Formats: sequence, C-alpha cells, structure tokens
Amino acid sequence: MEDKNNIALSVRDLKTFFYTNNRCNKAVNGVSFDVEKGKTLCIVGESGCGKSVTAATIMQLLPTLSRIEEGEIKFQKDDKIINIEKLEKNGKEMREIRGSDIAMIFQDPMTALNPVYTVGFQISENLKYHTNLSKKEIREKCISLLNDMGIPLPEKRVDEYPHSYSGGMRQRAMIAMAMACNPKILIADEPTTALDVTIQAQIFELMDKLKKENDTAIILITHDMGVVAELADNVAVMYMGNIVEAGTADDVLRRPTHPYTKALLESVPVLGRGKNQDINPIKGSTPDPYNRPIGCQFAPRCNWQTESCDVMPEITQINETHQVRCHKYEQFFEKYK
Amino acid sequence: MLLVISFLVYSGLELSPGDAVSHMISPELASTITAEQLDAMREAYGLNQSFLTRYWIWLTSMVQGDMGYSMAGGVAISEIMVKTVPATLELSMVALFFSTILGCSLGVISALKRGSGTDNSLTVAGMAGVSIPEFFFGLVAILLFAIELKWLPVGGRLLPHYETLWDRIPNIVLPSLVLALMMTAGAMRYARSSMLDVLAREFITTARSKGMPEWRVNILHGFRVALTPVVVLIGFRLPLLIGGSTIIEQVYQWPGIGSMFIRSVRASDYPLVMTISLMYVFVVLTASLIIDVLTALIDPRVRLGKE
Repeated sequence: MEDKNNIALSVRDLKTFFYTNNRCNKAVNGVSFDVEKGKTLCIVGESGCGKSVTAATIMQLLPTLSRIEEGEIKFQKDDKIINIEKLEKNGKEMREIRGSDIAMIFQDPMTALNPVYTVGFQISENLKYHTNLSKKEIREKCISLLNDMGIPLPEKRVDEYPHSYSGGMRQRAMIAMAMACNPKILIADEPTTALDVTIQAQIFELMDKLKKENDTAIILITHDMGVVAELADNVAVMYMGNIVEAGTADDVLRRPTHPYTKALLESVPVLGRGKNQDINPIKGSTPDPYNRPIGCQFAPRCNWQTESCDVMPEITQINETHQVRCHKYEQFFEKYK
Repeated sequence: MLLVISFLVYSGLELSPGDAVSHMISPELASTITAEQLDAMREAYGLNQSFLTRYWIWLTSMVQGDMGYSMAGGVAISEIMVKTVPATLELSMVALFFSTILGCSLGVISALKRGSGTDNSLTVAGMAGVSIPEFFFGLVAILLFAIELKWLPVGGRLLPHYETLWDRIPNIVLPSLVLALMMTAGAMRYARSSMLDVLAREFITTARSKGMPEWRVNILHGFRVALTPVVVLIGFRLPLLIGGSTIIEQVYQWPGIGSMFIRSVRASDYPLVMTISLMYVFVVLTASLIIDVLTALIDPRVRLGKE
C-alpha cells in the first residue's frame, strides 16, 4: 500500500463501547483508516453513526461511561510510533499529544469557548503547556495567530471575551487555538454546523490554507456531502459504527459502490437542477443501537437486500484505494467500468 | 426601601400590645399605680401623641443622625450600637468566611467525585445541615465541645483577663462555626450542582483538548465559571446569616446586636428596635450591592460595555 512514512495516524479495528444502564452500545465497532500527512480525510455519515465518537476516541476525550474496547490508534510522532489507545486517559503523555500534536475543533463555537476568559488567554494556555515561549512571545504569537485567522484588529481583539465575538469569529479563534502549536493532525468535528453558509465557506478556506501551509493532516467530520466534495482527499463513510465504504474522494463520490453511499448521495439536492428534481430519502430510520440487525447493518433499509446480507460482509479492497463492505459490490462496481 | 420598611416596623410595634411604660413598671407596683400616673409617664416619653406624629418625629431626627435614647435604659442608642455592632460583625464575618471556603471546596470535591462514597456522605451531611435548626446545633456543640471535651469555652466574647486577639479566638470558634454550618451546607449543595453543570459544558472538553492537567481544567475552567451563581447565592443568604446570628448570640451569650434586638423587642423599646431593624435592612441592601459588584468582577459578561 502507501508509503508508511506518509501516514500520520493509523487506526486499526477500533472499538469504542458505551455502557449505560447495563446495556452496551457499540458506538464504534471495528473502524480502520489511515490519515495521510497534509491530506484531508472526511468522515461522513448520518447522526449517531459514530463519527464524533471516533474523533473523541483519538483524542481520548471520551465521556466516563465509554471506553476503548479493542484496536489500535497509531500516531506517528517524529520517528516514533505511539499507540494512543495504550496511554493513560488524562496522563502526562496523552496530555502532551493533545493540543500540541493532535488538536481538535468542536461543533459549536458558542459553547466551546470559556465565557470568563479572554480569547487571548485561552489561546495562550495551549502555548503555555506545549512550548517554552516567554509571556511576551506567547502574546505576540496569539496576536499573529488571530491575524492569520483573518480577525481584524488582533491586538485589540486578543483581550476581548468570547461574548463580544461573532459565531464565525469564535470558530476562527477556536482554530487559532487548535493551530497554536502547529499540530500534525487537526480533528474538526462538524466545525461549521452551527455557522451560516458564507462563514462556513470562509472557515473551510482557512482550514484548507492551513493544511497546505503547515502540512497538517485534517480529519473532518461532517454530514454535508457538498463539503466533502469540496475539501476531501479521502473519504470514509460510516454507518452504525462501521466504515462501509472508503477511498479517495473520487472513488467514493464518483463511483459509490456501497448502497448506503449511493443512497446518501441521492438524498442530497443538487444546486442548478431546479426545484422539481428527484430527491430519494433513505427509507426507514437508523436502527436502535441496542437492537441491531444481524449481519449487514444497512440491510433492512437497503433496496438490494438478499439472504446473504444476514452475514456481516467483510471489508473488500476493490482497487488500491477503494474499499467497501458489501456482498454485492461487484454488481455495483461493474457499472463504472 | 429603607423608608417603607421603617414605616412597616413602626406600625408593627404600634399594633403589638403594651408600650414601653407598661414594661417599665414592675408587676408589684402595677396595682398601686394610678391611671393618671401612667398617663403622666407616657406624656413624659411623648407616647401620648398620635402614631403618625411620633413616626414623623422619629424619622426627622433619624435623618439628622440622631438615633435617640433607649427607653428602657436611657442610654444613647449610638453608644449601644458602638458596643454591639463590632461583636456581631466579627461573628458574622468569621462565619461567612468559614462557610464560603468550606462550602465551595466541599461542593467542588463532591462534584468531582460524583457518585462516590465521599459525594454521598457529603450530600447526606448537606441535607442534615440545611434542615436541622441552628439553635439545636448550637446546644449540641456546647454540650460536646465545651462541656464534655472542654476544648472551647461555653460562650461569651470578651472575658476580663483575655485581652489579646489570640485569647479571643477560642470564644469565637464555636458560635461562628455553628452559624456557618447552615450557610456551608447550602453553599456546598449549590456549588456541587453548579460545578456539575459546568463540567458537562463543552468548553471543559475544549480545555481538556488543549492537553492541560486535570486540576487546571477543573479549577480554572470549571470552578471559575461555577463560582458566579454560588456568589450570588451566598449574597442572598446573608440575611439568613444575620437572622441566624440573633439566635446564636442568645445561645452563646454573645454580646452582639442580635441579643440586644431581642431584649429591645421584649421591652417595646421603640427607638432601639427601629434603629436595629433599619440597620439590618441597610446591611441586606449593601450586601446585594456588593454581590452585584462581585459578580461583575467574576463574570465578564455582566460588566458594562466600555468601548
């Protein structure tokens, strides 16, 4: 496969389970993917499919009721390979990685910033723990970061509180915070869901710029197919805690092979096709995680369901980059040849 | 505000049976004294005038800074206040200090160890602290620490041969702790829930994602935000502290304003009752002002926009 040195983060067979009321929710149930340096991996899927949990697992920021059950998260730090899943949850080594090597942006910038501290202070915390800069240097760095993020009057804004920032500016401040230590990997968990479309475009432009300038790998979690088409180098489609299809953006968007990916793409309206275009929503709704279908998780909602779907299909490599988890992938892939 | 309350208290005193004169005369003499003599005494004290006139006289002199004289002892009220106010202030401030520190820290510990044995026992203790009346605690504490263990004195404030501050500390420990107890329990419960609320917020995850140690996440990001409602609560509870001090001062023979208040009400000593209640009102109003200032200090969102 690809050159090993190119891979910033490699996740293998990851399982994260939640335990509530003596029941076990297999939120992430055997997920594997690689994140290449300087590339964007989009993880797509509908609500509750395990996207965010996957992100939280990589950062070891899981809620107390959940834990990593199995699998490996290998992070390449300089020349060493660190197994993140083996580190203590809030231990020293994990904390050293968090914020400096792997940083994260959250969904809602309105609640993700602490209301009682200035934006500058919140950015500086990151630098304080991961660099040896002096107070003055930290302040200058904060200002230049805000400047890079396109915030006007950064010298003044740095001493302001989040409540005097607008939503888009807060998300920029969040990105400044995340980028403060030039992380190798930036995990963005639906960074624009809470923002309007114009701001969304600006934020993505910014992330794309940062990726190119700093060679940061980005894991972008989203459910917006437009965003995927725009930004992704690689795409992984998740459903009920599994990756059902993965590959380059071209593979997945142009040659969708898993029925779920197809259905997802068909359910998105396309700009310019007019208001009478056919949108095919996926029938039914996501199964209860405590009462999963046997075999293929998507089978009950799939138009091509057969008896063979009672057995969970294995991940199959169609070609070098494209992989899919479906029994009948050949039938679907045939068309693209 | 002060005006309204002063009028209400004055009316309340007017409605209560008896007056200062009837309390001055000992029961043995009551049978021998004639109605004319009583009226003469009332006239001497100005009690024969109408209710509104008396209120007006009292009000105008009060505004001029003249608190008048106690009817029961004839001592200037200002003199009584100078003696008693510091004692009460000392007691309530120490209690406030204890209850704030203890309440907040126990509440935070309770929240951080949610669901553990520590949390559960603190919760039970908190409920007990809120529901058991102070005088009961006061008496139990005297029994236990003063009489059984003989660690601390039973009561009093300034004993003749104890003069330095150090000598006085043992005297204040029991009353202030008992007084603080109820506030502590309340503050603790409140700090716990406020802290739990804040810990579930997203910026805590953000803070953690920066790779900071847990104590910094919890204290700097968690507690700092959780503090605002706790401060407000403590501010609102200040009157409780003052009310409580009235009872505790009785139990511990603390020569403060609370015990003076009870004595003056018993004697229908109008001027003294009025002054003390006015002072209580004043303290409550000042407290809420201080709380407003404090909240603005803690929470930048409350601060007025300064451009």
